[in-house]
Amino acid sequence: MQTSIEGGSAFAYINVDLEPGETVIAESDAMSSMSSDLDMDAKFNGGFFSGLAKAYLGGESLFVNHFTNNTSSTRRVTLVQGTPGNTRTIELNGQEFCLQPGAYIASTPGVSLGIKWAGLKSWFAREGLFKLTVSGQGTVWYGAYGGLLEKEVDGEYIVDTSHLVAYEPQMKLNIQLAGGLFSSFFGGEGFVTRLEGKGKIVIQTRSLSGLADWINPRLW
Amino acid sequence: MQIDITHRPGNSAAKVSLESGESITAEGGAMIAMSGHVQVETTTHKKDSGSILGALKRLVTGESLFLNHFTPNGGPGEVFFGTALSGDMMQYDLNGPGIMVQGGSYVASAPSVDMDIQWQGLGKTFFSGESMFLIRLSGQGPVIFNSFGAIYPIEVNGDYIVDTGHIVAFEETLNYEITKAGGSWLSSILGGEGLVCKFRGQGTVWCQSHNAGSFGAALGPMLKARG
Repeated sequence: MQTSIEGGSAFAYINVDLEPGETVIAESDAMSSMSSDLDMDAKFNGGFFSGLAKAYLGGESLFVNHFTNNTSSTRRVTLVQGTPGNTRTIELNGQEFCLQPGAYIASTPGVSLGIKWAGLKSWFAREGLFKLTVSGQGTVWYGAYGGLLEKEVDGEYIVDTSHLVAYEPQMKLNIQLAGGLFSSFFGGEGFVTRLEGKGKIVIQTRSLSGLADWINPRLW
Repeated sequence: MQIDITHRPGNSAAKVSLESGESITAEGGAMIAMSGHVQVETTTHKKDSGSILGALKRLVTGESLFLNHFTPNGGPGEVFFGTALSGDMMQYDLNGPGIMVQGGSYVASAPSVDMDIQWQGLGKTFFSGESMFLIRLSGQGPVIFNSFGAIYPIEVNGDYIVDTGHIVAFEETLNYEITKAGGSWLSSILGGEGLVCKFRGQGTVWCQSHNAGSFGAALGPMLKARG
């Protein structure tokens, strides 16, 4: 399988060249174009109940699409997330990674998607009550609205609410005020997420809810 | 006429430099700036031809009812065109077979380019959920179109599938049909891919990396209802 992320950080999209017999799995509606002789099958996102949980709790689709090359030569499928923004990969080799609901785009067949209780803190942080986890062996493509910024944290790090895209599972999330009461509410930062531990986190440079908050007062 | 596309791909704009008396035709609302001596003529049809029927047809494609014709008088001038959504623009020089442009992707064209609306049939339009009305451009001269996101070309030789929300334009040498994405209708509907466009033959399809409908579906629920 040869893959590449094109389109730069603003309009990232994924070209997946499948060799005969290979499969790539993608969230619902991620396919923008493909060779017509690739087989596309909609399947529950990891079983019926698990699929339901991911759909209603994890911001993902109930079904995922399996694109399989049953021809005798290389075939291409092009995948993209619903919003403009950047896309990155995680190479899993037995470890786990946590994703913000909706951040998952695609994966190779050895990857399993799970859903875990993220807690009220996560909900206050506008990251959802549940978090999506990816584990197993293989590649995961994920993305968000805006650019993606990777950070190695050792100790504490603070991320604005709705800007955290992905993090390693050992990271502890806490919600807190950005500063004192005054600066938190009058300085426009409100709540922030405090991450504690040693590990990798990924931050999105824009947020869709930020855009919506900007548009809403202007609608009349 | 000289066309330069600047600020690609995120904030692209098309700068059209015109000789005195030379014209460019654009979709209503596309002009963002121009020289002071450029005259604007607004019609419901192609310059010096066409009819109100053409205009009504264009309205159903999602394009503006009106076309603007920009002409500098008494010296050369320039016009900048932009679009509402962020994304790329491209220039295509017609010289031979015509091209079909998805309603909404047309920005501007030289007066020597003929424009016609192709009604895609009720079935194709209704089931695709997209404005599968296409603008057929033919003749000679440059055309400018825009996309939501980046533009990538696919050289079709045989069959190729493109999601209906990702089509920008294609050469009319290609045949196409609106069909299911997967092996079965059930898979196509459950998998959220719905209907796709299957191109057949030889020619180029220009795709947009992003689907404006998907972006709208993500942002829409966060917006408050109109008061």
